[in-house]
Amino acid sequence: MRAADAFTPLAQDQAAAISSRPSLSYWQDAWRRLQQNKRAIFSLYLIIGLLAFTFIGPMIWTVDPSSQDVDQISIAPGADRSAILVKDYEPWYGELSEDFVANDNAVGLTFAVAPSTQSVRLSWQAQGERAAGGYRIYRNLFPITAGRSLGLPLAETQSLYFEDRLDLRPIDYYYSVVALNKRGEDSDLVATLSTTVTRVITRREAERRGLLGAAEQVAYGHEFQLKLHPLGTDYLGRDMLSRLMHGARVSLFIGLFAPILYILFGVLYGSVAGFVGGLTDQLMMRFADFVVALPFLLFMILFKVIFGIGPGESGIMPMLVAMVVLLWPAAARLVRGQVLQIREEGYIGASRLLGAKTPYLLLRHMIPNTMGVILVTVTFAVPSAIFTEAFLSFIGMGVAPPTPSWGSMCNEGIKTMLTHPHELIFPALFISVTVLAFNLLGDGLRDALDARMRNRE
Amino acid sequence: MSIAEPHSESSSNGHSSAASALSSAALRQLIIYFGAAIAGCTLLMFALHYLASAFSSGSTTAIAVDPENNSISIYLKEEPPSLNSTITTDSVSGMVLNHVMEGLLRMSVDDKLEAGIAERWEVTPTHATFWLRDNALWSDGQPITAADFIFSWTTALRPETASEYAFLLYSIKNGRAVNEGTMPAEALGVSAPDPHTLVVELEQPMAFFDKTVVFPTFFPIREDFYNATNGRFGADAHELLFSGPFKLTSWVHGSSLLFEKNPNYWDKDRIKLDQINVAYITQDANAAINFFKDGKVAFTTLGAENLIEAQRQGWPIKRNQDGTLFFLEFNHRDERLTRNWNLRRAMQLVLDMDELVYKVTKLPGFKPGVSIFPEWLMGTNAPLREEYPPPQLRLDTAKAREHLALAKEELGLDEWPPIVLLTSDSPVSNIQSEWVQEALKSKLGLTIKIDKQIFKQRLAKMTAGEFDILLAGWGPDYNDPLTFGDLFASWNLNNRGRYMSDENDRLVREAQGSTDTKTRMDAFGKIQHVLFDDVALLPMFERGVTYAVHPQLKGLKRRVIGADTDYTNAYIDTSAGGQ
Repeated sequence: MRAADAFTPLAQDQAAAISSRPSLSYWQDAWRRLQQNKRAIFSLYLIIGLLAFTFIGPMIWTVDPSSQDVDQISIAPGADRSAILVKDYEPWYGELSEDFVANDNAVGLTFAVAPSTQSVRLSWQAQGERAAGGYRIYRNLFPITAGRSLGLPLAETQSLYFEDRLDLRPIDYYYSVVALNKRGEDSDLVATLSTTVTRVITRREAERRGLLGAAEQVAYGHEFQLKLHPLGTDYLGRDMLSRLMHGARVSLFIGLFAPILYILFGVLYGSVAGFVGGLTDQLMMRFADFVVALPFLLFMILFKVIFGIGPGESGIMPMLVAMVVLLWPAAARLVRGQVLQIREEGYIGASRLLGAKTPYLLLRHMIPNTMGVILVTVTFAVPSAIFTEAFLSFIGMGVAPPTPSWGSMCNEGIKTMLTHPHELIFPALFISVTVLAFNLLGDGLRDALDARMRNRE
Repeated sequence: MSIAEPHSESSSNGHSSAASALSSAALRQLIIYFGAAIAGCTLLMFALHYLASAFSSGSTTAIAVDPENNSISIYLKEEPPSLNSTITTDSVSGMVLNHVMEGLLRMSVDDKLEAGIAERWEVTPTHATFWLRDNALWSDGQPITAADFIFSWTTALRPETASEYAFLLYSIKNGRAVNEGTMPAEALGVSAPDPHTLVVELEQPMAFFDKTVVFPTFFPIREDFYNATNGRFGADAHELLFSGPFKLTSWVHGSSLLFEKNPNYWDKDRIKLDQINVAYITQDANAAINFFKDGKVAFTTLGAENLIEAQRQGWPIKRNQDGTLFFLEFNHRDERLTRNWNLRRAMQLVLDMDELVYKVTKLPGFKPGVSIFPEWLMGTNAPLREEYPPPQLRLDTAKAREHLALAKEELGLDEWPPIVLLTSDSPVSNIQSEWVQEALKSKLGLTIKIDKQIFKQRLAKMTAGEFDILLAGWGPDYNDPLTFGDLFASWNLNNRGRYMSDENDRLVREAQGSTDTKTRMDAFGKIQHVLFDDVALLPMFERGVTYAVHPQLKGLKRRVIGADTDYTNAYIDTSAGGQ
């Protein structure tokens, strides 16, 4: 056996009391951990950028989102926009200038004047009996090869001239004139002529677009730069950038406002139910179950009717009300679960023993302790609300024209998806990026706010 | 602790090796299940495919143009609601009926009136007489007689039939009274002195009565067959009897229809196709274009967004006017702002329909509207619009603003309230109404609210007059300018805005009552000026259709009156190249 002095008391160590790291509050710690999550921080910057785009953007880019620039319909971003000033349009009845010389192709097909986006004027020589049924004029975007069709039939005429004004763009066109037989069918007598159309603008148009002052004297032939549209224009010549900015207002208004409202309500409802418990809890939660069962779209339409939202008026308010009225139970359930758990914690009992009343307990202990869950719910609710708005606007239940919203812009863009993809891609991209950014941020917040993941490094 | 570690390690090792053995067994089983599932799915797929092709009426084997069977495949936009000619109103039923039925007269390839079941006819101010062919037979071989026409017309007029197009028969003596139930059906002014002569008493002189009888409502129906169907007449292929070039031999509702050449048709030598297979019924324009691309249908309509693709593919593209005029109609009721002439005039002076057609709508068939009478209507000898040039409109924003200021004063307004534009929910009219909205906003500062409604709802609002401006379209019922000319007569129910003008009413009565073509055309010439000066409407555009046809299919005819797509003269020309 050993002697009693085999054990000696350990010398008191001062160092043990000094903490190795600075003390951090819950929020400071959460923020620190959020900063380490690169995806979440990147998303946060994206969202800040988006807010700036929405609220500061229209102050810098002051183009009216509903003004139509019919000279530049469905223009892709970065398209050439120089135009030459010409005289105002006057109808043409086939008169030719004195020095007009016909081409020597099959029907003597010639351009009467230099082709421009205002009009392309064709003139040809009479073919007598070989054109008993008159002439048909075709236009093609692609070079005409043997055995292929001549392209788009523009008109049939008995005269020896034709003026094309249909959607002319500054590109190459291949015009053909075919003599028709008695029954109005194409004969073999064809002439084709190709041209590059130049973009022009009339004085009146230039003045109306603000490119030219009323008193300004500019010679015909002067080259202008048409209005700039950095992201192109839509099917009515409206500026895409401006529409995206104004559309973001609607999308973000619904996207931020609706979740905040219904989650606030859900939090109050859930915490009361969870804290009071018993029969009250049962009744309150059964009512929440009942609300979950109500169909959203139907109620959205009902609210629209009840609100007296007439035709041609915005359906945004009923959308907001429908969301607030119908979507709160999810948040309420979540908070109730949390509160039920926290209610049994020791510090609540202690606080109660010290004489704390219910409101104090709710506000001081319950809600702050569920704050993490609530914040995460909000960040996940935002993208789903944005998406709901986009979907409802897409099916025509949302904004009224000409107010843009991302969803309605997608709806309009999808029709021209193959020919002018930018009209669909931009709003779709904005929806996707916004939804993704909020989701990633929510993800990061969930990790950062989770107290159990604290000090795990 | 130092003892526990190796133990726990070894145990976890043993555990993991056991787990890996377990997982590899599970993996093997999974692979087997997976393989079995794929094999099962493949089998099921083939089985379903076989069943589908066995039961569906050949729609999976649709070939656009089949020279071997001398048949073609096409698609329809929608299912015909009913093929009972007394009650149909829609264009799809009209198209089908025009292939399986023939009336007294028909439209020729050159859009002239020509003999049908009647070999000759005569119209006098009091009577119209039709002499029927002896060799005209129903598809079951029985002769077509005058009684079949009398039966069909009285059926259409009976109040219990509730035919929407019964008014076309009001031109027959007592037609209106029979339709309103104040006279028995026997009182209708039609008679058959012998089985092959049909005599029609006219209510009032009507120079173009013969032009109206090509309309489906005038097609014959045989009484004994009609009664044998127990009220299901026209609901199915076997509930119909045919007088025209084709027989409907199969009608799978919602899916397909099959036309076969009618061997009992009197003019069967004219018909070159043996079969027309309506393989698909789809409203989806893109689906139709894909069917065309895959060589499954011989015809497809093209929208503005498909034109580039069609040109790239080198498809034979065709166009024509479908005869419909679209216009902005104003509400002239007392409580509406649009009753004010100055306001309407201001709008007339700023809306540039050329811009709408050439830059916004962008379809080659469309023409800017200039008059209530579309371009294709014939006058005395030449097109009506050539004989009576419509008024020229010179756009002038400054003058428009003066008119607008006057209107504001006359109406005693401080501020312009929003003006409601009622429109349909089709994509094309969306674009057009947004264009109108912006043009009136930017040039006149007026706020326009777009009221977008589905067809039935829009019709209800049109009838009740719940609009300021209406985006309306009107297609012709018969080949005479009167089908457009009487639109704004004060008694016409289709005058949705209750426009009233004594001068216009007088001119319409003159055109209706006279049998002299020149007098009538003079009246029409004046009507277009009266309506222009009063700004009763703003013609927007005349609609056109752009479509692509299989290169080997020839003789397809698009019509303004009758079948909008007419295959009765079509034939297959194998010398033309494939697609």
